Amino acid sequence: MDGTGSVKVPDGKLVRVHATYDDRIESVRITGDFFLEPPEALADLEAALEGHPVDASEDDLREAVEGVEAQLIGFDAGDLAAATVEAVR
Amino acid sequence: MNWRIVNEGTYSEPVQQALEEVLTDRLDRGEMDPTFRVWYRDRRAVPMGRFQAYADEVAVDYVEEHDIDVVRRITGGGAMYVEPGTVITYSMYVPRSEVPDDVEESYATLDRWVIDGLQEIGLDVEHEPLNDISHPDGKIGGSAQLRTGDAVLHHTTMSYDLDTEEMLRVLRIGEDKISDKAVKSAEKRVAVMRDYLDDTREEVIDALIDAFRDSYGGTAGSLTDEELSEAYELAEAKYATDEWNKKL
Repeated sequence: MDGTGSVKVPDGKLVRVHATYDDRIESVRITGDFFLEPPEALADLEAALEGHPVDASEDDLREAVEGVEAQLIGFDAGDLAAATVEAVR
Repeated sequence: MNWRIVNEGTYSEPVQQALEEVLTDRLDRGEMDPTFRVWYRDRRAVPMGRFQAYADEVAVDYVEEHDIDVVRRITGGGAMYVEPGTVITYSMYVPRSEVPDDVEESYATLDRWVIDGLQEIGLDVEHEPLNDISHPDGKIGGSAQLRTGDAVLHHTTMSYDLDTEEMLRVLRIGEDKISDKAVKSAEKRVAVMRDYLDDTREEVIDALIDAFRDSYGGTAGSLTDEELSEAYELAEAKYATDEWNKKL
């Protein structure tokens, strides 16, 4: 199945997560008007969200994102986790 | 530190965006002086943020029908609609050692001179975190940054006299399926300088260059043939291709 979730950060940026999932999150694509340093870390953020069970908690997803070495600007790991939970709901 | 000030050269959007990568990399490698560059465009375009999805941001049929170049930037941030004579875009290629490590602070620091310059000619603007230049009536412009090992690219686009109705046809914020309220708020969010100033666009650019010099100094210069030929090559290989522009 496919799904999309998005979070508009108050006074911040829009983050969209597109996910393909079954009983696990198979693939994730992150888009939006945020900033990320280094930009190449986008693939690492996507990879960190993949492989989790679809009923993974927002906290677990947030922790997985926090493990990625990158500076998220205009959004944070919690926003990505929330958008992912919405995408697979 | 001697800044090169480049206030010349009209290029297509893919070449403009290729220049950003070429010049930032050259500064990063220590092959270039810090540079301030004012952009001149030859046609209207949509520079889009690096992480944005093409189909989410532009009215695809409209931009294709009207031959509007949609080009993915090397920097994050949002999509803008730009026209040759109605926006002002400039870039700063700054040594990383001169820029605060804190990203939010660095936007405020690198926008400081432009806020001062616009206030000097009577425009009521201020820096609004993270990356906006705001007038009480709305957003006049926005900046975006990219950091490499030893360089920071900071580029900014401001509305001088942008056709905001056309903007709403080009960008998806103008679509019917988004509620009237959303469109109104998008329209409200953009303020254009010409509503508050009698100065021509050239006069505003001159005032900005003066303000830049007051803060950083600098000498008028040109892009080198080498820089330009590298940018033309990179434009063709990357910034003019669907592979890059429509990759998301």
